[in-house]
Amino acid sequence: MTIGILGKKLGMTQLFQPDGTWVPVTVVQAGPCKVLQVKAREASELPEEHRQASTNRGRKSGKLERPRRDDGYYAVQVGFDEKPEKASSKAELGHCAKAGAAPVRLIKEFRTESMPSVAQGEDLTVAQFAEVKRVDVTGTSKGRGFAGTIKRYGFARQRTTHGNSKAHRKLGGIGRMYSTMKGVPKGKKMPGHYGVAKITVQNLEVVKIDEERNLLYLRGAVPGHRNAYLMIQKSVKTR
Amino acid sequence: MDLIRQIELENMRTDIADFGVGDTVDVHYLIREGDKERVQVFTGTVISISGSGIRRTFLVRRLVAGEGVERRFPLHSPRVQKVEVKSKGRIRRARLFYLRERVGKAVRLRQNFGKLRGPRAMPKGANKAAPEAASTK
Repeated sequence: MTIGILGKKLGMTQLFQPDGTWVPVTVVQAGPCKVLQVKAREASELPEEHRQASTNRGRKSGKLERPRRDDGYYAVQVGFDEKPEKASSKAELGHCAKAGAAPVRLIKEFRTESMPSVAQGEDLTVAQFAEVKRVDVTGTSKGRGFAGTIKRYGFARQRTTHGNSKAHRKLGGIGRMYSTMKGVPKGKKMPGHYGVAKITVQNLEVVKIDEERNLLYLRGAVPGHRNAYLMIQKSVKTR
Repeated sequence: MDLIRQIELENMRTDIADFGVGDTVDVHYLIREGDKERVQVFTGTVISISGSGIRRTFLVRRLVAGEGVERRFPLHSPRVQKVEVKSKGRIRRARLFYLRERVGKAVRLRQNFGKLRGPRAMPKGANKAAPEAASTK
């Protein structure tokens, strides 16, 4: 079963197909990831050894064992990109240690419809995409700062000459004069902060998988700068 | 090394003859005619080499019935069967676009009678084995 994987965008290049066509590809360092935790709708569905949880009741009372609460949903919590212990909090160390993993920089959850088929501490690799043709990639887009409407929404540019006075890249009219509806409409597209948003690109073709180096070659572009973190899942639109 | 560059090197061809701008070459290129494929030979002068890594292309110019014909080939394409160097030219610029204004005898370049070079010297870290073709899924 394909659950998904966390990765890092390495950059873009081109590959030749055997018929000589050029394919633009994004190379993604995908995994290996450790399953840090499995979440279940009801705690009773979890394996016996995972049904206990401990709570810290403060310095005097110490730790208390109690039955683990229901998570309310099914998911696989996955960690990617190891970091040194000195850069980790004790909470992170403890959480990762439960899965027998080193502390990681990125932790994400992949929701599943039923009880996940993987167990805590298992490795997730690109091998799970061997049969997958298309994937969806989620990442954080590049920051553009405070951007105008031309860059942000693709508005048209105004005239550069013919008497245009300092309004070459302005957005134009924003309201109306003769109407029962007055003022500026809610949600009017205007300049503002652009980028650094969660973006999902759907239906990217998996061109090649390199299991040795944990690389995924995806046709086309993915959000973010180089070394940006990505979440890769089987495409929802092509089942 | 930068992994992207490493990947490009692995997919680059090492079996293409070393040629430069000004050389006269025969390019054996696989073309598709309907549903059949055959090798076409395009002979001419290399007037420009551009791009880097796997994107490197070269531009070959020849005169057909007094009309200039130029064709650009991707150097590392699997469709390039073979490049034969017929003669080396002695040139003083990187791009020979001035040849476009010339016809007839003026197109000739002085020959470089130095030894023809062997296979292309590959950058460090290049995969010397046969380049694996990108697999189609």
